[in-house]
Amino acid sequence: MTSGTDVWKGYLLAWDETYTLIQSPFISHGSRVFGADSDHTTLAIAALQHRLSYDHSVDCVSLAEGVNGSIFTMATGVAMADEETYDSCKWDLLIGDDATVVLVQRDTSIELPVLDTQIEVDLEFHTAIEKAWESELLAGHVSQGAYVSSAQYNEGGVARMALSGQQFGELLVWPPRQLSKDGDREDGRISLKPLGSVASWTKLSAAGAPSEFSLRAPLLGGLTTVFLDLDDGPKGVFLMVDDEENEVAIGETVELVVRRIYAQEGMIRYGLRGRII
Amino acid sequence: MVDVAVVGAGQTKYGNHSLGLKGMWAEAALSAFESVDGDFSPSQIDEAFIGSIAFGGSQLGNTAALLTEHSAMDGVPVRRVENACASSGFAFRDAWMAIKSGQADVVVAGGIEKMNDLTPERKRLWLGVSGDTEWERLAGLTFPGTYALMARRHFHEYDSNHDDLVHISVKNHSHGAMNPLAHIQKQVSFEKAASGFMVADPLTLYDCCPTSDGASCVILAADHVVQQFTDTPVWIRGSGAASDRLALHDRPSITQLKATAEASKRAYQQSGINPRDIDLAEVHDCFTIAELMATEDLGFAQRGEGGMFARDGRGVLNQGDVTINSSGGLKSKGHPLGATGTGQIVEVFKQLRGQVANGRQVRDAETALTHNVGGSGATCAVHVLGRDRQ
Repeated sequence: MTSGTDVWKGYLLAWDETYTLIQSPFISHGSRVFGADSDHTTLAIAALQHRLSYDHSVDCVSLAEGVNGSIFTMATGVAMADEETYDSCKWDLLIGDDATVVLVQRDTSIELPVLDTQIEVDLEFHTAIEKAWESELLAGHVSQGAYVSSAQYNEGGVARMALSGQQFGELLVWPPRQLSKDGDREDGRISLKPLGSVASWTKLSAAGAPSEFSLRAPLLGGLTTVFLDLDDGPKGVFLMVDDEENEVAIGETVELVVRRIYAQEGMIRYGLRGRII
Repeated sequence: MVDVAVVGAGQTKYGNHSLGLKGMWAEAALSAFESVDGDFSPSQIDEAFIGSIAFGGSQLGNTAALLTEHSAMDGVPVRRVENACASSGFAFRDAWMAIKSGQADVVVAGGIEKMNDLTPERKRLWLGVSGDTEWERLAGLTFPGTYALMARRHFHEYDSNHDDLVHISVKNHSHGAMNPLAHIQKQVSFEKAASGFMVADPLTLYDCCPTSDGASCVILAADHVVQQFTDTPVWIRGSGAASDRLALHDRPSITQLKATAEASKRAYQQSGINPRDIDLAEVHDCFTIAELMATEDLGFAQRGEGGMFARDGRGVLNQGDVTINSSGGLKSKGHPLGATGTGQIVEVFKQLRGQVANGRQVRDAETALTHNVGGSGATCAVHVLGRDRQ
């Protein structure tokens, strides 16, 4: 298929051979707004992931300001253009004033379709969540107790964003480890399918949330975490997305999508979160 | 090889303690010194091991030396032992090994944690610091959440349900109500425990241990010096320890703590004692599901039958197969993280010597077990103790 519209990783999507348009489904006072854990970076990642699912020729993208380039590359494996590579890069990523991102072939004239789906969000909730994110992003907001430094976070970035697993002989391992139980180094990396089934789950009350989440958890009514048996074998624990209602139960199929997790010391930590499909 | 006995043991009351770190440790140490039947001087101590996780962050380095300085143990070689909530269980094992090695005759093992002197926001310091920080914590998990995942899966795989956990909560509160050193000294009805505030679905407030301050201290001695101190020592018959993957997702099963199963297997083998011989067990019930799983992992119940064990009251004081958590356990006695392991030893020391009052004494107690778990099961120390040396 060379064109169409769809719902993709919780977002609205339209595409043809020359562009991919991706938008948040949420509306407030006539404007598209982000869901509770989305931003331009998560939209951009989802847009490229869709294109990569059928078009493997994209090897470089020129990014607009407002998209986190290192996160984008960790999640997709596609390089962002710099001064040297800009001219050879065939794809530009543009962001709108609202919750919209367009991935477009350079020097192509396109007419974007209007996507009809609109979910009206509660303005008070939306404002409170955005303010909480702003507060989290302040440099002084640091977790109490357990602390993941940016260096440690980045070290696991590709595994965290692209579900990159390790091959130890016949064994597939995720999250990555330095040595296998036999003391061997990995044989290679493989991206796992971002799908799994719920083996267990819990909803943590706001009062018990780690300090990283302490500003948003009360607004969200707690945090829902799932323990997944990934389709490719390994297991993992993941937060569910905050911008969709999810009726979680053991055995449900979950798709993993890149979303904001929390912010600390001025840096947003992104990662995979689950949504029931 | 030399045999090792406990000759003295003491602790502070657990709870919101008015004393600070130094005061709590001094109180526990003095209580242990005074519990020795014969003449005892701190100058006889050859070595000391003190378990703690973080001391509220107030003294991160050289904490053990600060404590010995304030408890008449100046100059004793000492170090802090950190293995999350199993810190002092491992401190106790280290002390036992120091004597076994022949390098020491009298050794102190203890633990301490000051958790309640932080502001509400800083108190989140304690949430989930000993779980897998990089992967579990970024998935929003603290220990209530981690154990909730285990509970829900156990309910799914076996014939267990939340009512079984309520039975455990009611039992431990019933025991703790008789313990003057317990943090929460009150009975809880089944109805109240069944309808508690949801902390991490399916675990409610009554499934979770409190955040406690406290300190505990134990004195161990080699067989050739034991008689200097007492005619009724409590012998350490077996010491087992094990570790497991830190994160739940790296384990083959989340309805069993492999470290507990391995550690208890080693302790039973060493002691020549099997689960049916145990009269009382102090089990690490940081959450009620942890006790349910421990009854299986320690061999008191078959795998998958921990729920039935709790339902049938088989761990109730002097009524079941084995008295579980006569002290009230972590649920009622409290859980000052670093102090919990040696606090369990304090309880069985008194029980095996018939020194427990208020109707809490386990009848004819000859053999006991302690079970101390670090975090969600990454580390575990199990000890078998008895009135008899062999």
